[in-house]
Amino acid sequence: MNEAYAIPAVAVVVLATVLIGGFGLRISRTTSDFYVASRTVGPSLNAAAISGEYLSAASFLGVAGLVLVYGPDMLWYPVGYTAGYLVLLVFVAAPLRRSGAYTLPDFAEGRLESRQVRTVVSVLVVGVGWLYLVPQLQGAGLTLQILTGAPRWLGGALVAAVVVLAVAAGGMRSITFVQAFQYWLKLTALLVPAFFLLLAWHRDGGAPPAFPAGPELPSSGAGTGQPIATSRADHPLYATYGLIVATFLGTMGLPHVVVRFYTSPNGRAARRTTVFVLALIGFFYLLPPLYGWLGRLYAPELTHAPDADAAVLLLPGRTVGGIGGDLLGALVAGGAFAAFLSTASGLTMAVAGVLSQDVLPARGVRHFRLATVLAMTVPLGGTLLVSAVPVADAVGMAFAVSASSFCPLLVLGIWWRRLTPPGALAGLILGGGSALAAVTLTFAEVVRSGWLHTLLAWPAIWSVPVGFLAMILVSLATPGHIPPHTSATMTRLHLPESLTVRQTAAAAEGGGTGTRAEAGSTGTREGP
Amino acid sequence: MTGTAAAVLLALCPLLLAGGFLLGRRTAHPAGRSDVGSPVEHATFETLHTASLAAPPLRAGLTEDTARKSARRLRSLLGTDALCLTNRSTVLAWDGTGEHHAKQVMERLAGLLSTGRGAAFDCGCDSVDCPLRWAVAAPIVVDQRVLGALIAYAPRDSAVLARAADEVARWVSVQLELAELDRSRTRVIEAEIKALRAQISPHFIFNSLAAIASFVRTDPERARELLLEFADFTRYSFRRHGEFTTLADELHSIDQYLALVRARFGDRLAVTLQIAPEVLPVSLPFLCLQPLVENAVKHGLEGAVTRSRITISAQDAGAEAEVVIEDDGVGMEPEALRRILRGDAGPSAGIGLSNVDERLRQVFGDDYGLVIETGVGAGMKITVRIPKYRAGVHSSPADHDPT
Amino acid sequence: MHRLPRHRTQWEIDEQTTLGAAYVRSLMRSQLRAGIAAFAVLALPVVTMPLFFGALRNATVVWAVLGFGCYPLLVLIAWWYVRRAERNERAFARLVRGADPPGTP
Repeated sequence: MNEAYAIPAVAVVVLATVLIGGFGLRISRTTSDFYVASRTVGPSLNAAAISGEYLSAASFLGVAGLVLVYGPDMLWYPVGYTAGYLVLLVFVAAPLRRSGAYTLPDFAEGRLESRQVRTVVSVLVVGVGWLYLVPQLQGAGLTLQILTGAPRWLGGALVAAVVVLAVAAGGMRSITFVQAFQYWLKLTALLVPAFFLLLAWHRDGGAPPAFPAGPELPSSGAGTGQPIATSRADHPLYATYGLIVATFLGTMGLPHVVVRFYTSPNGRAARRTTVFVLALIGFFYLLPPLYGWLGRLYAPELTHAPDADAAVLLLPGRTVGGIGGDLLGALVAGGAFAAFLSTASGLTMAVAGVLSQDVLPARGVRHFRLATVLAMTVPLGGTLLVSAVPVADAVGMAFAVSASSFCPLLVLGIWWRRLTPPGALAGLILGGGSALAAVTLTFAEVVRSGWLHTLLAWPAIWSVPVGFLAMILVSLATPGHIPPHTSATMTRLHLPESLTVRQTAAAAEGGGTGTRAEAGSTGTREGP
Repeated sequence: MTGTAAAVLLALCPLLLAGGFLLGRRTAHPAGRSDVGSPVEHATFETLHTASLAAPPLRAGLTEDTARKSARRLRSLLGTDALCLTNRSTVLAWDGTGEHHAKQVMERLAGLLSTGRGAAFDCGCDSVDCPLRWAVAAPIVVDQRVLGALIAYAPRDSAVLARAADEVARWVSVQLELAELDRSRTRVIEAEIKALRAQISPHFIFNSLAAIASFVRTDPERARELLLEFADFTRYSFRRHGEFTTLADELHSIDQYLALVRARFGDRLAVTLQIAPEVLPVSLPFLCLQPLVENAVKHGLEGAVTRSRITISAQDAGAEAEVVIEDDGVGMEPEALRRILRGDAGPSAGIGLSNVDERLRQVFGDDYGLVIETGVGAGMKITVRIPKYRAGVHSSPADHDPT
Repeated sequence: MHRLPRHRTQWEIDEQTTLGAAYVRSLMRSQLRAGIAAFAVLALPVVTMPLFFGALRNATVVWAVLGFGCYPLLVLIAWWYVRRAERNERAFARLVRGADPPGTP
């Protein structure tokens, strides 16, 4: 790979992000433009922003890498990442927006009227955020190493530094525009090279579009996440179902996803936004399978390399070659950095917000900066300490924790009136806590093989039922603790805006008819 | 695995999907019942609704006008050929055929009006064309006083009609009683609105109207627009429900306020806005930014300054929104400002500032008071921080539909 | 004219009376039913597909179905659900107010 092109590409992406973030809305407006300036974010723009923030290193690099090594069964990852939004749409989107909550702790406090639940949710949000940040930083390290041969830690440190500086300096002011831009950038960065790769494939005689068989088992040796690979090979069906449960149910609880829904003006718009998100990320996910397949055709030796995650970066150079290949490679590298930056900054903002509000003692702008540094330092330390797990698998674990804690909280909180704070606590701690413990043990490689390892690496399949059951059973056992305003909260969550809004209009109208009626009756009194 | 088996399995796929879809449809449309109403139920409601249309006219009291309007509805409710409404002395309305009977009605009602008991009588009509042979009269009673009567006519006697007429008369009585209640309630509400009106400075209203008037000749279109802005602005300021509003609505009202101010001062006032769309859904106490802008305008235009610039910005800051209102006007002695915020500066000076400060602290806690930076001749910068979520703070959502 | 709340049912809901709660419960049930229907349409194939793929052992089919075939389906289910949910809300608004709310497309 030619670094003469790639490094400027990465630099341009970083610069563009900072510039759009910092100056996007500094453009002054006069009152005549007020409507333009104050228009709420529409569903399509917000959807692009959500997608831009959501499509992380796992989507950009990880999926294609896993498909290349383990075959098309790995495509359950992108399917799950997408279908998670469908589950979010049908059970959560509109009521969550109508709750007025900005973060998950806000939702928990508003629905259950308990500070304790809020605290536990905050801790879990931070945990999930950190789990999700680790693979982003790892991916950045890998990318920079392949581009320049720099040591692994440098890329992660670079992304961490850029994000902390941008977020802490208040540079991410127009975050919606930044993230929307990142979506289109990422899409372009995979779409254009894919087009040329397909041309090259056609030029080479166009082997039939069948998926070539790979090695039955990945080679032994110091490969990435070896125990996970072995477990997957031993219990493929369990691993698949585990990952389906985690991704389908985990999306709704990801901290950076929840925060973006606040931007929708109302519940109806939140629903429409989610449909747009489904379409946008669904379209994006058409590309990684192509890369995985082309990887098997053109770079089969990568299946044995420890860094299959790099396949997307290396393919243009191998397949197209020449200056064109270098330029396309630079484009992909830029897109990859966009992926790290957008997801990492979104997560850092969300985690820092929770840290500054619920964990650090005092409030204020300076504490938000401190929280930002803290939000980034821990996962950065994590990347240096823990052994490498494939990017997509690591993200899958964050999903598992979210699915076993936040999914029961949101679904039962929105649809079940008898949920009580003790029940929610039990579910969060038993479901989310056990999943978090399982994932931590996997990262720490305490158990390296056998069924136990498999159960710990894909915990969602048992921890999600545990979370739901604990929440339901303990709630039923503590009927005296149902929050006093449950009925009012439920009404707010589910009542369509057309009703609440018409109330305003009716009140205004009522004032008018009152006066008019008086004039009318005076008239009739004069009549007879 | 052979090719045929694979083909069979592949064929199963759409079947499975179709099965899922059908299952979904069945759960979504359970046969015969729906929680939000079947079409038949909706039709019933609409019928009932139509019936209830008779009520509003009566709610203005029993007069010739209201009786005429409601008699039509009441007749269709009873399904009779003719229906008559009277007060104590005269026929107020006749609906349906055979109006020549109206002349004799009052004679027949003498007993009813004195005792308050219903009556039935034969019409004794000679005309062959007239279908009315029998009538039932029911009293309309409010506060134990007989106000009048409802008389239903039919071709022959009918127990059902007698009972129905009685019930309808009773219902009319209730409506008229409610009309009494309404009148007292209206008086209370008007007193409330008067109290609220005191919140908007009368000077502002006079000045705005004067400015609008000055455009009526020269630029009628502009005058029309300004009048609409004025109407919108006052409607927002007078609204009576809810303690909280959204930043979007509050800013919208500020925009209208500024349009009115600029109509008066023209080029002397320049306004710059920087609004991050992410913070527009934030909930905050009703009318807590508008007084700050009013304050900035006042300071900016005070003294001999020829031009003044006001900057309003709303930025996204993590879990908070940060609103900054800045002017380059005469500024203020910090000590005087402190007195105002303590509330010992007398009623005239900047009552808006201390009121806003107090309300913000009350709702969001002491960390969220106003932060004001100022000095004599140095302009003034007011910073408001608003948490994006605070338990108990909920506004009705924005009514600007995004579609 | 009349000064009682214009929409009695609306008022019941706003004031949290038992009757208002019953109305909201009905709305929740109809929305939940729509959600579960959409979820069932999603879950049924998803639960069976891994078994099916395991039996099939044809990488190309798996690649084509998971990589390209399922996304339009997901968007379709989402679209159906949103239509259904908005229809439920409109029906509910009509039920509460007795007429189609103006301004709702």
